[in-house]
Amino acid sequence: MATPALQLHEVRKSFGRTAIINGVNLSISPGERHAIIGPNGAGKSTLFNLISGRFGVSSGRIDLHGESIAGLEPEIINRKGLARSFQITNIFPRMSVYENVRCAVLWSQGYKYSFWHRVDALDAVRERSSEIVDRIGMTKRRDRLAGVLTYAEQRALEIGVTIAGGANVILLDEPTAGMSRSETDEAVELIRKVTEGRTLIMVEHDMSVVFNLADRISVLVYGEVIASGTPQEIRGNKAVQEAYLGTEQH
Amino acid sequence: MSASTTVGQRSAAMTPVLTLSRIAFWVAVALAFALLPLVFSQSFALSMLSQMGIAIIFALSYNMLLGQTGLLSFGHAVYFGLGAFFCAHALNFIGAGKIWFPVTLVPLIGGVAGLVFGLLFGFVTTRRAGTPFAMISLGIAEMVAASALMFTTFFGGEGGIATNRAVGKPFLGISYGPQIQVYYLIAGWCLVSMIAMFALTRTPLGRMANAVRDNPERAKFVGYNPTRVRWLMMALASFFAGIGGGLAAINYEIVTAETLGLVASGNVVLMAFIGGVGHFWGPIIGAVLVTLLQSALSNYTQAWLLYFGLFFLVIIMFSPGGIANLIALHKPVWSAGLSKRLIPSYAIATLAGLPLLAGFFALIEMIYHFEAKETSSKAFSYFGLMLDPMQARYWIGIAVVFAIGIALVYGAKSLVGRAWENLTVELQRKGAV
Repeated sequence: MATPALQLHEVRKSFGRTAIINGVNLSISPGERHAIIGPNGAGKSTLFNLISGRFGVSSGRIDLHGESIAGLEPEIINRKGLARSFQITNIFPRMSVYENVRCAVLWSQGYKYSFWHRVDALDAVRERSSEIVDRIGMTKRRDRLAGVLTYAEQRALEIGVTIAGGANVILLDEPTAGMSRSETDEAVELIRKVTEGRTLIMVEHDMSVVFNLADRISVLVYGEVIASGTPQEIRGNKAVQEAYLGTEQH
Repeated sequence: MSASTTVGQRSAAMTPVLTLSRIAFWVAVALAFALLPLVFSQSFALSMLSQMGIAIIFALSYNMLLGQTGLLSFGHAVYFGLGAFFCAHALNFIGAGKIWFPVTLVPLIGGVAGLVFGLLFGFVTTRRAGTPFAMISLGIAEMVAASALMFTTFFGGEGGIATNRAVGKPFLGISYGPQIQVYYLIAGWCLVSMIAMFALTRTPLGRMANAVRDNPERAKFVGYNPTRVRWLMMALASFFAGIGGGLAAINYEIVTAETLGLVASGNVVLMAFIGGVGHFWGPIIGAVLVTLLQSALSNYTQAWLLYFGLFFLVIIMFSPGGIANLIALHKPVWSAGLSKRLIPSYAIATLAGLPLLAGFFALIEMIYHFEAKETSSKAFSYFGLMLDPMQARYWIGIAVVFAIGIALVYGAKSLVGRAWENLTVELQRKGAV
């Protein structure tokens, strides 16, 4: 069996005496689209923060392509090929759409902290950035300041910034939260398109999005994965229906 | 720091090659630098121009921290001052024949000194941004200023380190004895530094400095370590500050502890804010204006520091983005060809402002002279008018002028406001905003 793209082993996180994540085990294969669902306060965002290095784990292992990343700084994890988006839009509001994307491209193109390259003269960076702007459908908005975009546009840009560095494991935290039906449909298509050939892990509340996009689903309740499987398996799972779906699906 | 900054920067994304207009711009600046001493040839003007050149480098280097990286430093003069001390010693070594080094390149020694200390102190200070950074920078400034008075061999104690700039062998008649030669040395370094600092804003590090300023957390999740970005920017800013310090050592031929003191550090904050930290060229305006005010005002009134402080207050209160932002605000109006619309209200506002300023300055001077120690008469000349603070009628007269001024300015303010409202509507219709 191939090395999982991402593997969590007995991951735990407590804030003071409050345990938020109670021994999560997860294994996500390369190329898989995996959704994490669960009621509010289940620890979904915390789990993302642990994987992406925003918080350190209290105990347990997190392996990215078989290499331990638990306890590393976010920028180090990012350079190893894991990128994430945020539930609350987290972009550079005073920069244009194009510049937002370019900031996310620079490191992966090897320019790092260079102060001897003219950034506008870097062809590879320009091509890559323009391509990403195009792929998120914002070519017409490329010179708009990110801070003045509509909410849905900002969410699309958030995804663009997340994928721009070429990471092969993408974490999306509630990418369609707060969107209208039609905006959500567009976002789903966008996500499907830009994560083609990559591993996607997302936290999502909208069940139609989850069942539409995900190959596999894990259900997180009180910091524990109570079930993991294909959408059909999850739909038919008794424990899940009791803990979660039953209360939210009308 | 306004939206217009980024508006200015975004056009760069469209122009991948070095544009002809930019080259033309720098050539024009070089020409202006070359021709200025021909227009202002008095020695007073020449030394002021030299001061301005040094101040421009210093203020621009400061804005690499504040405007570009979002680091409010209260200790930037440390790197300027250390650069100056190292250059003073270098000049003395050259003079004593201990080392050989062209005087023209001595500012580079200052730059390297600034860079080294920027790396050293910056390693500590840039671990934090925001208020902690400001406080730590203040602490380091205090520490270095205290050291300057303790380690007298290097810093020269109260008297400082005196030096002589005309130490090298004259090359093509350049001995750096006459002030005009020093001016051109400063102008040359100023031009090179300006271009370098501008170019730096267009590099990966320069762009990421903006990113770290606006959202350090997001910068982490696109692969950058914000601390490292801040540290590098701090080191480079200190390098340019050191060059400025080196030029100051050459220009004044003396470096004292004041050069790296808190007053000097505060001064550069004022320059940057008055000019405007949101635009690359803002601090240039600030440096020129502050130098001008400090030398010119001090010639006319002993209360000049008070006026200077008030000027700063007025700018910060009415245009927090500084003068550069005020200018940038008018850019869309100018491009839309609607500037004419503002002229009447601006002219009226200027006229209305005159009695306010005249009354206000008279009041300050009256208080100042009332406090003065003269025994015979406290009367003084105010723009050709004799005012006597010992007589009530002068106080009443000035108070009346001042009050009228306030009323007029209040009226003019709404006039300007209305002119702008009309303009905004027009601009929106034209799609310029």
